[in-house]
Amino acid sequence: MQAAHDHAAHAHGHDAHAHHPSGIMRWVQTTNHKDIGTLYLIFSLTMFFIGGILAFGIRAELFQPGLQFWRPDFFNELTTMHGLIMVFGAIMPAFVGFANWQIPMMIGAPDMAFARMNNWSFWLLPPAALLLITSFFVPGGAPAAGWTIYAPLSTQMGPGMDLGIFALHIMGASSIMGSINIVTTILNMRAPGMTLMKMPLFVWTWLITAYLLIAVMPVLAGAITMVLTDRHFGTNFFNAAGGGDPVMFQHIFWFFGHPEVYIMILPAFGIVSQVIPAFARKPLFGYASMVYATSSIAILSFIVWAHHMFTTGMPAAGQLFFMFSTMLIAVPTGVKVFNWIATMWKGSMTFETPMLFAVGFILVFSMGGFTGLILAITPVDIQLQDTYYVVAHFHYVLVAGSLFAIFAGTYFWLPKWTGHMYDETLGKWHFWLSLVFFNVTFFPMHFLGLAGMPRRIPDYAMQFADFNMIASIGAFGFGLSQLLFVLGVVKCARGGGVKAPDKPWEGADTLEWTLSSPPPYHSFETPPVVK
Amino acid sequence: MAAEQKSNASPLQVIKAVFWSFLGIRRRAEYEKDAVSLKPAQVIIAGIIGAIVLVLSLVTLVHFIIS
Ligand SMILES: [Cu+2]
Repeated sequence: MQAAHDHAAHAHGHDAHAHHPSGIMRWVQTTNHKDIGTLYLIFSLTMFFIGGILAFGIRAELFQPGLQFWRPDFFNELTTMHGLIMVFGAIMPAFVGFANWQIPMMIGAPDMAFARMNNWSFWLLPPAALLLITSFFVPGGAPAAGWTIYAPLSTQMGPGMDLGIFALHIMGASSIMGSINIVTTILNMRAPGMTLMKMPLFVWTWLITAYLLIAVMPVLAGAITMVLTDRHFGTNFFNAAGGGDPVMFQHIFWFFGHPEVYIMILPAFGIVSQVIPAFARKPLFGYASMVYATSSIAILSFIVWAHHMFTTGMPAAGQLFFMFSTMLIAVPTGVKVFNWIATMWKGSMTFETPMLFAVGFILVFSMGGFTGLILAITPVDIQLQDTYYVVAHFHYVLVAGSLFAIFAGTYFWLPKWTGHMYDETLGKWHFWLSLVFFNVTFFPMHFLGLAGMPRRIPDYAMQFADFNMIASIGAFGFGLSQLLFVLGVVKCARGGGVKAPDKPWEGADTLEWTLSSPPPYHSFETPPVVK
Repeated sequence: MAAEQKSNASPLQVIKAVFWSFLGIRRRAEYEKDAVSLKPAQVIIAGIIGAIVLVLSLVTLVHFIIS
């Protein structure tokens, strides 16, 4: 409002970055890291619910054997789109949202390095999501080749696949720009005295994640571009009849896909590494080894990709190589879990909601890590490939891992972001219901997989009926429990609850807690000095 | 950057730092020494060489198993 007076002389201030437009234009034009962080988080939450509705569709169909609701090919669209939306629309943007909010505050900077590019990185996402969702309504429907969009399935589908490919291209461009921004911010905008080795672990994990993104998103773009030219321009990259090789698609995809797994889990490690010391009231045990373990995981993630492809027919030497290299990743991951537990050891712990989610993360994510180790064993993997065991494994990693860490981080920083405390009772209910229903949903899937139930099918044999019914009930419960999360966040954002002090958590010691709650528009106008 | 006077690390120290990083553990004191003396370029080059050595040793191991 007051800006209208300042700029009354100009018809429109086209380059006035010092004034804040109000209403919708504030969000469209914003170059502020906090506004953009909020946009990312809202986008991610929206996509999380869209992906969740698709999951409801999947679990409703699988509630009983036989075909109840969907045509089989629509069921494939549901599984594919659930995967694509959750990976590219929910988990990744959520972590970028955290990065936007937290990194400048944690390193003592006023904002991100490239404020306008930051705006562009975000505003690429809604059109991409729109393309992806529109694909449901074109002839032939949405992509149905699985989120891995393997050729030759993906070269045969209708125009929905093209929309999916364009959406991935745009989201990839957004991720790359976001990563460049994050790397530049971290390397150039740290407060005086904050050497690399003094950076909070969340910043470290994002620095490494950003490098991973810059390295592998172009690989994904290459793979899907080749699918696109195979589909429309007569190339034969993946067409065996034309001299191409469909297995090559899998190699290229998983060279992106495995580091992608770490892109979705390293920032989660970072959040948990902030939350655990704060509520154990002890500094993080083995800070240096945490940094080293993160880099180690990142490097190793590039030499394991073919563990997703043991059944494609690989010489024994290849099978052994990828089996050994995959198992090596357990070492740095184990170091991390050990360090978190050592941090809690003899700490004076309290269990507010962020800590509950962080401890829950350690327990349940470790389970996903172990099943990953089991799947790394080639002969076991050949038996379990494409069964529900794999579905159970990666949901333990991505839901109990990434998503729980996102919840932990949200409850941890909500008081800082909004200036109000969240509702602790509501948060605790959200945690316990999520934990219980998560396990009710996904634990039985291990048994289903071991018994041989294949994934991505709308119907199944009678002997799988009981566990599927349990899993479906768990899934409905898990989905509905997430409404408590929305309720808690909305209450907090609308200013309900107690006013938050600058530092609501006694044991938290990073720079963002020295700012007011909510923090000023330009986080640190004068850089703090770090001893 | 230019303001900071950096003592140069010996190749051995770089190799040792990278070795421990692959394992994911490092003593705090050693780490602090690394952090002041190692240059980013050194670490990246040593990291890439380390990755190549790791791959080659795995390949050798596999070679002995299947031959
Ligand atoms: Cu993998």
